[in-house]
Parts: sequence; structure tokens; C-alpha cells
Amino acid sequence: MIQTRRKIGFELLLKRRFWVIFLFGAILFGIRWTKGAGYLDFYSVLLKPILPGTAQSEWIKAGEDFDKNLRLKLLEEDNIRLRKALSLNQLNNEQRISAAVISRSSKSWWHQLEINKGAKDRVLKGNTVIGPGGLIGLVDSTTPLTSRVRLLTDPGHQVGAWIERTKRHGILTGMGTNRPKLIFLNKDSLAKVGDAVTTSPASSLLPPNLTIGVVQVVNEKALPSPYAIVQLTASPEAIDWVQVLKNNE
Amino acid sequence: MNRNNNELLIFISIIFLPACIIASPDWLNINGISPCWPVIWLLPFSLKNRPLRAALVAILLGIFVDSFTIGDVSYIPSLLTLSLIWSQYGLHNKKIELFLSIGLMAIFGTAFVCVSIWVQKIILYDFLRNNWFHSWSLYVLISKVIVTGLVAPFFSSWLLLSYKKN
Repeated sequence: MIQTRRKIGFELLLKRRFWVIFLFGAILFGIRWTKGAGYLDFYSVLLKPILPGTAQSEWIKAGEDFDKNLRLKLLEEDNIRLRKALSLNQLNNEQRISAAVISRSSKSWWHQLEINKGAKDRVLKGNTVIGPGGLIGLVDSTTPLTSRVRLLTDPGHQVGAWIERTKRHGILTGMGTNRPKLIFLNKDSLAKVGDAVTTSPASSLLPPNLTIGVVQVVNEKALPSPYAIVQLTASPEAIDWVQVLKNNE
Repeated sequence: MNRNNNELLIFISIIFLPACIIASPDWLNINGISPCWPVIWLLPFSLKNRPLRAALVAILLGIFVDSFTIGDVSYIPSLLTLSLIWSQYGLHNKKIELFLSIGLMAIFGTAFVCVSIWVQKIILYDFLRNNWFHSWSLYVLISKVIVTGLVAPFFSSWLLLSYKKN
């Protein structure tokens, strides 16, 4: 008896079983092709309610801050110890005197401030005066109850400064305008606009690493030496309270 | 009347003008520049007094004003010169009460004081010699001259009249 071969044709498409197997295969292929992306996304959505929340992120941040503060304190102690070993000047946070500005002349022939702390509060001539933003000047003279501060912008006032990035020293000279001139000691200053100007870490007159300002203009071709115009970060015209840093006695 | 004038003069000379020099009130400033108070005070005094007396007062006033500034340059040379010129002028012109002439003299006096300080600064500081006409010096000079020219006619005329009544 001759058995006829089963017909294989489009009838297969009409069978439900075929479509189930096809769908299953397609899903498997999709999972393999996307490397399980759908599963992972679904898993993350499921886990979302029990993931570390805002409170936990704050704990982590507080921990990080604590760690950073601790490291800063250790580094400062280390810095003080090394500075003592090298007999360098130090920035001592404990010897600060807060004072109010009682008279201001920041645009006339003399650029000066009068503050309400004097010899009675152990303010001495040459003490450094800082305001919000950084260094603003040095104490020029004192009376028992007041002190006169000569601002960095005063014509002829000169202090040592350097640019930390290039490690080049210069003399910051007041020109009467709001922007003093940093006259470099090297022929090649390497300074760029935006560089931060600070007091030298090796200075014996000023506390180290005090912010002074930011370089606005550089003139490399100037003679006898290049210079930069510095925008001060502390504005004496807007400061009502200052801090006098006492020198190490 | 004399007693009242004396009291007014003492008040202005001892309290008001030093207070203005120290406090430098904002409402009397132009762009942060205050009037030249020594000129405002010295002008009527010199016009009304003999050269020797005016010169002596100018020196004392210069010492007084210098004590409120960073002591690198001084007001004394310019104030001394002005006191001598004004007192000579006052001896020959008895009737100087015109509002504008007082203002004009104060303007020239202030310009002279400012130029004197400017020159002293240039002599003192090397770096200012590289460029004589700094924007800062011109700014201070012009502002000071303008604000003194506005204020002086009121204060100086008033003081001059008070001196004359004495």
C-alpha cells in the first residue's frame, strides 16, 4: 500500500503550536541579542523601593565630609609641623582679631581703612589684614583703639606674591586703581589669564598661601620685566568687617 | 553777635571739618572722592589774615591733615604756598565776598594741592615715573576739583563772612 507523504506547506502557519514555538524562539533571541537588558531593567525597577534612599545617601555624604575634614586636619597639622621644621611663617587660625571698618578711603590719593582695633588688642604694625575673599592690606600704624590699614591698591604699596601654578614670584604693586600690578621677577612669567595669585608659601613677612586675586591681563613683552594685572578677590570698598592676622610671636 | 560767630567758628574748625576729613560722608563725595577740606578751611582764613599768620596756620593744618593719611607724602608744601598767595591776595583785595570767586579760588587751590601730592608720589615711587599720566591720578584730581568747587562756595563763603564779622 502506498502511503502518501504528508503535505508540508502553508498549513503550518495556521497551526497555533507553530506560533507559540516561534514566539518563544524570538523572545530568546531578543534576550540574547540585548544581553538581558529587559531582565536587568525589570530587576532594577523591582529593587527601586529597597535601594539606598535619600537618608542613606546623606549618611554616606556625611561620612565622606567627615573623612575629608579629618584628612584636612591631619594635613594642616602635618603642614604646621613641616613649616616649623623649616622655620617658615605659619598661618595660625587661632590668632585672628575681628575688627569693624570705621573709616574708608579706597579711591583717593591714599587707599586706606581705619579699623576699630588697635594696640590695646595687640594689633601691631605690619600685621596682615584679610577680608572675605582674601588679603586686603597690611597694618600701617596703630593707636590704642584703632589701626590704619594700607590697602594693596595704594600707590606704591608692594608685597611679595606668586602664582602657584607656575611657581613664579613677583612683586604685587598698588597702582591706585582697583587692580594692582604683579611685576614678575623672571623674564618668562608663564602666567595665563585666570591664574590664582597667592602669598608665597616661603614668605617670611606674610602668612603663606593667602588668596590675593586672579590674573586679568598678562604682558609678557613689558620691559624690564613682564607683568600681570590682578583682580583682587576681596573688595575693600564693600567690606565692613576684617580680620587681623597676628604674626607669630 | 561776636560771641555767636566765635562759637560757630570754633564748632566748624574743631568739630565739623575734622569730622568730615575722618568720616568722609558719602553724601559729600563724588565717585568716592571727598572734597579737599583743608583748602575749604584755609582759603577764608588766609584771605582774612596776614601772610605770617596764614603760613603758620597752614603748616599746623598740614601737620593735622597728614596725621590722617599714610605718611608718605605731605600736604604742607602746597598748603603753605597757597596760604601765602591767598593772604597776599586778601591784603590787596579787601572785598572778596563774591560767591563764584571763592569757588574759583578753591578750585585752583585744590588743583594745586592735588598736583603737589601727585608730583611727590612720582618723586617717591619709581614705578610711577614709567607713565606720568595715570588714569588714577587724573581721576582723583578731576573728581576732587569738581567736588571742592561745588562745596567750597557754601562753606568757605560762610567762614569768610564769619571771620569778617569778628
